[in-house]
Amino acid sequence: MHELLLFASVPGQQHHELLQQLTGLTAAQPTHRLERHLVFKAYRRPGSVNTRIGGSQDLQAPEIQRLTKMLNGAMFYTQVVGPVTEKDFGSVPLSQFTARSTVNDKRPAEGDQGNWYDFEDQRWRLEFRDIPEPGARTTVTTRLMANATLPRGDVLTPMNAWGYSFVTEYIMEGDVFIHNDIVLFLYRVLTFPADSHDPQPPRQTLPALREMIPLDRSGGYVLQAVVIVTDGSNPEIMKLASQRLLGLKEQLKSAVKLEQADRLSLDTRVK
Amino acid sequence: MPSPLSDTDRQINSAAAMDNSFMLPLRPPVDKRDHKDTLPVRIAQINTQRGSFRNVTEQSLQAEIDCQKEKGDVSDDEGGETKPTEVDATEHLELLYKRRAEIMQSAVQAHMEATFALDFLSLLLSKHVPRQADLSMSAQLKQAIPHGSLNAEVVKARQSSESAKQDTSAVSRGWKLESFNAAANKLLKSAKRLENEVSAETKYWIEVLRVKEKGWKVCRLPKERQALGVQFGFLEATPVFRDRGLASLRRVDDGSLILDRGIAPARPRVLRVRVKKDGLITGCSELSRFMAGNGNSIEDRILQARDTLFEDELFHELSREARIMGNMGVRTRQNLIEFEFGKGEEVMFDMVDLDEIFTQVDSDTRSYGHGVTANAVAYGIRILLMYAHRQNLRRRKQTPPPLSPKKRPLPEYLLLRPVAAYLQHNFHVRSLDSFLGEVYQILRSAGLECGYTTGTFSSIKFAPKSDTASTTECLVEGFLAPLESSFSGTIVTTASTFSVKIRTNLSPPSPGTEYEFSINLPDFPHTQPPSRMGLKDEVETFIIHLITLNLTSSISTITSQKSRAPSDGSSLTAPRPSRKLLEWEAPFANYGELLAVSRISGRTKKLSISLSRDELTIRTKWKSAYSEPSKPITGRRPEPQPLSYTWKSTDESGKKLKLSDVVLEASKDSR
Repeated sequence: MHELLLFASVPGQQHHELLQQLTGLTAAQPTHRLERHLVFKAYRRPGSVNTRIGGSQDLQAPEIQRLTKMLNGAMFYTQVVGPVTEKDFGSVPLSQFTARSTVNDKRPAEGDQGNWYDFEDQRWRLEFRDIPEPGARTTVTTRLMANATLPRGDVLTPMNAWGYSFVTEYIMEGDVFIHNDIVLFLYRVLTFPADSHDPQPPRQTLPALREMIPLDRSGGYVLQAVVIVTDGSNPEIMKLASQRLLGLKEQLKSAVKLEQADRLSLDTRVK
Repeated sequence: MPSPLSDTDRQINSAAAMDNSFMLPLRPPVDKRDHKDTLPVRIAQINTQRGSFRNVTEQSLQAEIDCQKEKGDVSDDEGGETKPTEVDATEHLELLYKRRAEIMQSAVQAHMEATFALDFLSLLLSKHVPRQADLSMSAQLKQAIPHGSLNAEVVKARQSSESAKQDTSAVSRGWKLESFNAAANKLLKSAKRLENEVSAETKYWIEVLRVKEKGWKVCRLPKERQALGVQFGFLEATPVFRDRGLASLRRVDDGSLILDRGIAPARPRVLRVRVKKDGLITGCSELSRFMAGNGNSIEDRILQARDTLFEDELFHELSREARIMGNMGVRTRQNLIEFEFGKGEEVMFDMVDLDEIFTQVDSDTRSYGHGVTANAVAYGIRILLMYAHRQNLRRRKQTPPPLSPKKRPLPEYLLLRPVAAYLQHNFHVRSLDSFLGEVYQILRSAGLECGYTTGTFSSIKFAPKSDTASTTECLVEGFLAPLESSFSGTIVTTASTFSVKIRTNLSPPSPGTEYEFSINLPDFPHTQPPSRMGLKDEVETFIIHLITLNLTSSISTITSQKSRAPSDGSSLTAPRPSRKLLEWEAPFANYGELLAVSRISGRTKKLSISLSRDELTIRTKWKSAYSEPSKPITGRRPEPQPLSYTWKSTDESGKKLKLSDVVLEASKDSR
């Protein structure tokens, strides 16, 4: 799958106004989204796929060739994303919660008012993003992407087994709008406060949301418009997608300036 | 010129009446001449106008005045008449183009003249200030005529006579006055026009604001940016109908607001639901409930437009769904959808013109037995369409699937299917209920202790399931899932039970109603119900069969119990202990037949049970001991009368003999 993107930076003062404008544009209320992003870095090349070069009998299908090239090419940073809720912030881990509630003869039932965060039950999604395609063929950023669902809970062990080491994590907070096939995500990045927490493994608990520090201290937001296409090699569909994006850009011209991102700033390769 | 002057005066007066705060004198002050014309001047004037004095008589002058008056009247009338005559649109357009061309022509002419003047002056000046003149000179002139080829000199004016001077000044003064007057008239006219325009605009905007205050969304039209529109349609409708939900708010000349819906039909149309039974219309939904009142206010118009659009969409979606339901017996015609839901009962949907239908007399409606059904269906489909709209919103707010060359299909809404399923299910449940009611009434009147319970529409739960869906949605969702009802009961002996679940699916893989039985017959452990039954008659036959089976086993136990405990003589017709009772056996329980062999005569007695929804009959008959029962056996005693007893569903319980008593009577052994 490929994704086509346009970005715009939104000053903090404009945030509320833009939210309203986008609500009007999409004629629907936004969905609030909070995500944990764990950044992983590949430390060894994946097991090489047997590529028997030479011999015309053994011509490989183009997909296999592409896959081989991808796997044996550069190493990438990948992200593991887990959706969280506002309730999860500043809450105690489940183990402590149950320990406390057994004292009070109370059990954490479904829909219990108690605030507890169960890291073992956290859902995860692996997100791979390639470096954007070079060349100014279109005026939108285009890159190869793939998502995969991971098992719940501890994500470190499988990732390590696959040759990835944990680097850091951050939180993305924002609102999602859907406009036809375009997903508009108006978000900001929150970093964890500097505390005594060991930075290496992912956190088992989340600090209170108000303690989180925005990465952009000026309070700015980023507006990201994405169209995902199934087949990036189909020029018609790619053209359609970029036309949709450019149409939106034109529509939002008076509010924000959506533009292509710098290719190298979205480089996910490990150097 | 007396008449235009008076006209303009009127204008001034009306202008003063309109705005008396400030008046700017636009007309030139006309100074009345102090001196009157001298007589010789008058005489000369009359002479030039009328010729000789001899021709001027009082009559001729009077006639002339009258004639002029008439003319004035006629012209006035003409002016009055031409005003209201409406020019139609094409003429209007032509006129517009003509005027436009005239304006263009005048403008071109003016431009040309101005250019000539400029060129002329430039050429003139080019002798003295060539550089400056060169800038303003046109290219053609530069090519055609060399610079400085025109000169001007001051020429001494010819001395004119005093009288000529006076004449000139009088003429120029007259022209000036004329022009000032004309300018003043034009100004006043445009002031009047502007004033009207302003009041019309004010009226228009007040009405627009009133519409907005009522909560309607007022916006610019996307295709006509300078016009205002009001959004009354449903955002989640199919794109065709969503885009039709926008009408422009136009201003007529006097400033009042009209709703311009383009090509949409102006007459309100409503979807009508009718129920037909055996060819007769037995119910019709109330139509006026679904259409706003026929008022003239803009609010009413908007509401009416919205309702008409909704009804149109409803019928469109119904037709779309009816097309895929052709295999389920839904028939569609140009403006009619109909399907059968019970025995001879049909529902019909069609679009009718509300105005027409009010003038029509309901001659074809004979009775209103199904009025409630028709109304319920009418409400039901509308609720379902609103539910579909909500689902559309929900779907729209979800992350879209990746773009692919395949077009996303637009699934048909669930409108007809839930309604049809409900009606069908209801029909089956009611018919089974009434069937069981009648059969159990017979059994009870025969003194049997049995009963059944019903759980109709047990699949529908009204409690909201999740936090995300509202109560309304949960309510509707109950009707979109397969419908289920259950009946369970004991048969004759309390140990034997049956339960039946009626399930109606509204969509594939198995649309329609099916019955699922589970039975518990301790006496017939090998009897198993068929796995799936769909026909009502089949089910009834099966239940009759079950009860018959159970009756045969219970009859055989009655006598065996009695013969084991002969002292128990509670009933009136209790057999004397000296006489033995027949022992009934049921070799053909499936046919409801029992046989007993007399210990005295060795003959066989047959007891047959026949049960239907109307009656239960028990017959007994002696069979010959030999295998030729058809041949009359001579020399024997005449056969005892065969016993027959019938219980009907109309019998009251307790009035008739009990089954056990009849059986005991029949079980008497005789020679």
